[in-house]
Amino acid sequence: MDNSSKMNKSSIPPEAQAILKQVADRETRFRKNMLISFIVLTLLAIGLFILIKLDFKFMIKWLGFILTGMGFTLLVSFLAISLACILSVIGALGRLSSNPVANSLATAYVSLIRGTPLLVQVYMWYLALPQLGKAIEELGVPGIQSLLTLPAIPAGILALGVCYGAYMTETVRAGIQSITIGQREAAKALGMTDGQAMRRIIFPQALRVIIPPISNEFIAMIKDSSLVSLMGVWELSYRAIKIGRRYFQSLEMLIMVALIYWVMCVLLQYVQERIETYMARGDRRMS
Amino acid sequence: MENPKKATSQESRKTMVSIKNLHKVFGQNLHVLQGIDLEVKAGEVAVILGPSGSGKSTLLRCINFLETPTAGTITVDGLTVNAGKATKEEESKILQIRKKTGMCFQSFNLFPHMTALENVIEGPVTVLGQSKSEAIPYAMELLEWVGLSDKKDEHPSRLSGGQQQRVAIARSLAMKPDVMLFDEPTSALDPELVGEVVDVMERLAEEGMTILAVTHEMHFARDVAHRVLIMDGGKWIEQGPPEEIFTNPKETRSKQFLAHILN
Repeated sequence: MDNSSKMNKSSIPPEAQAILKQVADRETRFRKNMLISFIVLTLLAIGLFILIKLDFKFMIKWLGFILTGMGFTLLVSFLAISLACILSVIGALGRLSSNPVANSLATAYVSLIRGTPLLVQVYMWYLALPQLGKAIEELGVPGIQSLLTLPAIPAGILALGVCYGAYMTETVRAGIQSITIGQREAAKALGMTDGQAMRRIIFPQALRVIIPPISNEFIAMIKDSSLVSLMGVWELSYRAIKIGRRYFQSLEMLIMVALIYWVMCVLLQYVQERIETYMARGDRRMS
Repeated sequence: MENPKKATSQESRKTMVSIKNLHKVFGQNLHVLQGIDLEVKAGEVAVILGPSGSGKSTLLRCINFLETPTAGTITVDGLTVNAGKATKEEESKILQIRKKTGMCFQSFNLFPHMTALENVIEGPVTVLGQSKSEAIPYAMELLEWVGLSDKKDEHPSRLSGGQQQRVAIARSLAMKPDVMLFDEPTSALDPELVGEVVDVMERLAEEGMTILAVTHEMHFARDVAHRVLIMDGGKWIEQGPPEEIFTNPKETRSKQFLAHILN
């Protein structure tokens, strides 16, 4: 494509070339103005921070302390998203299954989890599960109570993973269903079993469709991971709120922690774009 | 490409595909195939013609069980499956039959996330359990045979329709099928691309492949096929050698249909 357009360049009449130049100029101007807008916006924000006498020294002093909370945030998020990915694939296969038990289990899972607040679920894993354990132990299963009494971090990972797994189940199901029937038929005509067709043909293509919404979920989860602070885990936002309250400088701390979340999400977005470009490799007509 | 199955003489040919009293009902009352019988000998090239909606494609898709027949039996290369029985044994026979039959679709259905070469080795690697290095030499031979060895690393989106269909044919042939099913292989192609696909089908026929094709490509039906079958309303209307069917059709409905497509 590129080559042919280069070869034809000489035959493009001057008036058309002038228009092409105008189009190119318009694009450059647009990019330039975008950049200027961003810079002005940033300066305005910084100006505002100075105007309201934000205590930058205080912020820098506590930056290290707050950032140590990032470990918990990332740990919880990564483990929870991994759990959610596994659950969503199992859930999606269940939702598409012709087995009535698998199908109803998956449907109930999605319906129940999507239909209840994450906050309630977090407390359910952390506070209500031990009570359930106690009840079962009294029915005659020894040791179950201590097993079901989860520390804060595992409870948080389970709550987030199970919750996001339910949302992502629908994403994965939709992704699988978006692949045309012809692909499954071609795979079957070659003699593939249903499992082979799913693994080799359907799922790799569905993945391309589901990567953007899954990244969306991951970005949302990074922020929802602050819910584990409810259970006393010293993660990012918990630290910021604690320090802010202690010194009556919540504004500084909250702005700082908000920026930290933002940077994390921008980085994730970059990773997402790279993955998408890679996944789209079969789709490019011209490079 | 050597074809070891090249038929010797007309008489000694064994029956490759045998269909008895095949019925297909979609839903509760859409009776698409109404008791079809068909025998195809090894090395025979049979073309099925008929108005749209007559059940041609459904018949083809029943042979490799992309559609589940409602009643009747299908035998491919000695393997017989009875419709309506959904036992584990029948399931495995269906998989066996699919390995023996190659199919080309109207819409090619190449795997878009794989290159041409990856498409061709996918069957041998995933279904037959060959290693990639085992599968590649024959796959390259096939791509060469359909004239696309230089496109081996292209994804389907960068190939023309005719090229895609030729890769799809190579993909089917990689499984070394005993019979090839063509389901309107040229209907989705621009007129100037039809020739290259028909050419490949013709060479396949010359090498002795058993072919069952639903196509409106009259040159293929007239000059390559050994037998032409006309279907309407889920039943055979007429069948015979192409010269007979095209010059002297007996049934009124065949006459009407042929008059319609030949003009």
